Amino acid sequence: MSSAVSTESAARPVDPGARPAGKRDVWIVFWIVPAFYTAFGIIFFALARVMPPPRPDVTTDQMAHFFHAHATTIQIGFGILVLIVGGAGVANGIVVYHIKRMTVGSVLGYAYMGSLAVGALPGCLLVAFCFLTAVYRPDRDPQLLALLYDLGLLSYVGSLGCFTTAWFAFAIAILYDRNQIFPKWLAYVTVWQIVTEILAIPVFVSKAGPFAWNGSIAFWVGTVVFGFWLSCLIVFLKKANDLQPADEAPLP
Amino acid sequence: MTNTDQTASDLDIAGPSHSAARPVHMPGDGAMWVMVLGDFIIFGSYFVIFMIYRAMAPHEFLESQQHLNLNVGALNTLVLLTSSWFVARSVQAVRAGDHSRGLRLTYLGGLCGVLFIVIKAYEWTAKVAAGYTMPSNQFFMFYYMLTGVHLFHVGLGLLILGIVVRELRNPRRRRLSMVESGATYWHMVDLLWIVIFALLYVMR
Repeated sequence: MSSAVSTESAARPVDPGARPAGKRDVWIVFWIVPAFYTAFGIIFFALARVMPPPRPDVTTDQMAHFFHAHATTIQIGFGILVLIVGGAGVANGIVVYHIKRMTVGSVLGYAYMGSLAVGALPGCLLVAFCFLTAVYRPDRDPQLLALLYDLGLLSYVGSLGCFTTAWFAFAIAILYDRNQIFPKWLAYVTVWQIVTEILAIPVFVSKAGPFAWNGSIAFWVGTVVFGFWLSCLIVFLKKANDLQPADEAPLP
Repeated sequence: MTNTDQTASDLDIAGPSHSAARPVHMPGDGAMWVMVLGDFIIFGSYFVIFMIYRAMAPHEFLESQQHLNLNVGALNTLVLLTSSWFVARSVQAVRAGDHSRGLRLTYLGGLCGVLFIVIKAYEWTAKVAAGYTMPSNQFFMFYYMLTGVHLFHVGLGLLILGIVVRELRNPRRRRLSMVESGATYWHMVDLLWIVIFALLYVMR
């Protein structure tokens, strides 16, 4: 970092109007977050047809037909996903980086990182491998295709515990922090996600209606709240980057 | 909620010279109001969805509703209203500078919250023993999920009241905004229960 930048930021450590601090690595990691989630959205919505999830209340033949009809896009979409899925780790990493800059100490950051690292497996990767396996040999027994359909979608919508743990850790970190890295209300937006996760519990018993895996309560409200949270997170990660003084001591 | 009204009327009584100097006081922390209003929107969506599914199967919902115990529901409503009253009084006590009274009232409010959970646990146990579980039908799915997610809010509220207690016990803390934020959250839990009680137990 040039000495001019550090003198300027020493005089005015927090100035939202100032040009971004000289932390090129942090900025590169930051821009991966919206890029990854955009790709994630395109894959899940447009290609793999997991968003919105196909219906749970269909016959075995209809499940097999789903895989036959979308085989190519599933292969393209989830093929790309398994290649770029590390972007989720990068996105979690920059959140942990800013949690470590808080006054709370790093333990909540590790809780966030650990639970989301485990959560990515059932919440994102398992459905990709189920669907990729299903379309790999399309002439497989329809009963087996139906199994992969159920397993993939139940794990995708029904993986709850790791995420609630991560949201708890993040919310507590924000509320306890005195460095004001993130606004306090973002903690409460994070708590809403715990509420929506709780209401997704019935996906394991409900095959139709609001609590099924494609239901208005179990899926849609949660997805809307997650989308809102993610948009807020990206905006405030950018702000946290902006406000971080360029001459701040490196984290231990 | 009564606290807000009272503050507003206090300001009016104080006269123009005072109200010019003291801006209108928003109880608690602004972030807590984001939580409360957002939670109302989320719960509002659940209530609308409940009404839509109820309209699609009115007979099933009415028939299932007969199996709920209205007395237990009404008792729980009273318990939660009482706890809200204690919490509101505790805010008044803290505003008046009587912290030990505020602390006692917060304990009483929290105790009522625990009582609510105990009664709810009894009610759920009785329902499950009678064979009415989540997969029974759409109504019971709503019943367990709406009361369950509300119970989560009660638990979170007890945690928040615990933080208020910690705040009041330490003479060097005692921030009024923390006490008010806790009360704001607790009143939200109360208000949500009243709507849930009306929708699930009372509405014919």
